[in-house]
Amino acid sequence: MPVTTAPALVVRGLVHRYEGEAGGLLALDGAELRLAAGEFVSIVGPSGCGKSTLLRAGAGLIATSPGTVEVLGGTASQACAAHVLGLVSQDPGLLPWRTVEANVALPLELTGGPPRGTLGGIAEAARALVQRVGLERFAAAYPHQLSGGMRQRVALARALVHRPRLLLMDEPFGALDELSREELCLELLSLWEQQRASVLFVTHSIREAVLLSDRVLVMSASPGHMVDEVPIDLPRPRTLAAQEAPSFAAYVHRIRAALGAPSTSTAHSTGDPA
Amino acid sequence: MSSRAARWVRVGLPPVLAAFIAIVAWEAWVAVREVPAYLVPAPSAIVRAFTADPARYALAARTSMVEALGGLLLGSGAAFVLAVAMAHSRPLERALYPLALLVKVTPVVAVAPLFIIWFGFGTLPKMLVAALITFFPMLVNAVTGLRSVDPAAHDFMRTLHATPLQVFRMLRLPASLPYVFAALRISVPLCIIGAVVAEWMAGDGGIGQVILIANGDLDTAALFAAVVVLASMAIGLTALLALLERRLLFWHESSERV
Repeated sequence: MPVTTAPALVVRGLVHRYEGEAGGLLALDGAELRLAAGEFVSIVGPSGCGKSTLLRAGAGLIATSPGTVEVLGGTASQACAAHVLGLVSQDPGLLPWRTVEANVALPLELTGGPPRGTLGGIAEAARALVQRVGLERFAAAYPHQLSGGMRQRVALARALVHRPRLLLMDEPFGALDELSREELCLELLSLWEQQRASVLFVTHSIREAVLLSDRVLVMSASPGHMVDEVPIDLPRPRTLAAQEAPSFAAYVHRIRAALGAPSTSTAHSTGDPA
Repeated sequence: MSSRAARWVRVGLPPVLAAFIAIVAWEAWVAVREVPAYLVPAPSAIVRAFTADPARYALAARTSMVEALGGLLLGSGAAFVLAVAMAHSRPLERALYPLALLVKVTPVVAVAPLFIIWFGFGTLPKMLVAALITFFPMLVNAVTGLRSVDPAAHDFMRTLHATPLQVFRMLRLPASLPYVFAALRISVPLCIIGAVVAEWMAGDGGIGQVILIANGDLDTAALFAAVVVLASMAIGLTALLALLERRLLFWHESSERV
């Protein structure tokens, strides 16, 4: 893959208002974000702080004016057209009438073929990704036959099969139990080590953000704005053992403090058991 | 006994048993109370009326079936095409919905004679009446179904620059199928009613005409036989539809019962 110097995602002065009564809800007021090529950045913040809105702006799913969104040197819709984006939402959004393999193959059907530099056709490329996330035994199964964690694995494989350069993940593991969550974090880390796409990862979980990221952005609500930026200087490749490091606890502590949430009740609302 | 046979006994036996008991009770009641045959014929008399001339009923059933099915395809097909347009455009939906409602609230009995004036005594006016009656259920259901796409799946396709045609083919159309089948389940009995009502107005055949003649002759047994044939048609079509639905909608939660 060619190394590009253009940042993966640049957001400047983004304002977004959800339509509604009494002038609507101001979700973002001048949000700024810069994601370097190959970087893994997480955004943590309370519900309603606009972190998902920010991610959706990067995916070209919502209008972005006033403000500018630059994806890999172009506009978000150019990035969509160039098939360089991968999206994973909290809801896996699989097509229930397709098998696991056919779901993973969907991006390749839309882009018209397997990614360049791979051998074989669409089916081979899809099968390789299914295998990569450990679901080869379920390649012919349908989503309703899978557990929540397995469905999210399929969604992850589907988001990566066309080798995107920017992976946008909107609370992807938010609906999963703790064990599936950790498993999928490790899966994601190993896939990321291999593909090295830039990742914007939106989450409620502070520990998840620290474990995965190069940098954690902390947002505050109504209207959403950045309150802190925490570079995570833990060695890679990381495993769950990274959580044992004293610096890990320090990062978690600093982010929790930035969220202004020393009390247990607010700590709980971040979805992060202390 | 295989589990499949056991299932048939478990699922099929209760309704068959209930029907059998009802028929026996009916027969006994007519015999004991000596109910006149022109009021309520005994089940055995109904069977005799049918077996006296089965070809007549079969021919009439075929005529009605062609009209009903033709109408179902025509009405549901037109409604689905319109639903595709309405699902993609809110202004179009707002513009056309009152018209569709007008079609819905117009009594078939009032429209049927008009269709006969316009289109003559052949098969076409009867098909049109059947089509009219099946139009609205499909329109409403299909619009809802075509809009019932999983937002996460839709978002994902949008980030890959999927064309509206791709979204339609890969997402909207399959997502609408449960709703389409729900509409068809409503429409199958309706299209038979539509055909029969039209046959009353201008009968040159069909079960509707058999009923009309039997009624004129006070031949209540023949009338009941015709009604039984109609019911069998509706049940047969519904069963066929259920079979098709189970094949196509294996992925949908509605198919998990049974």
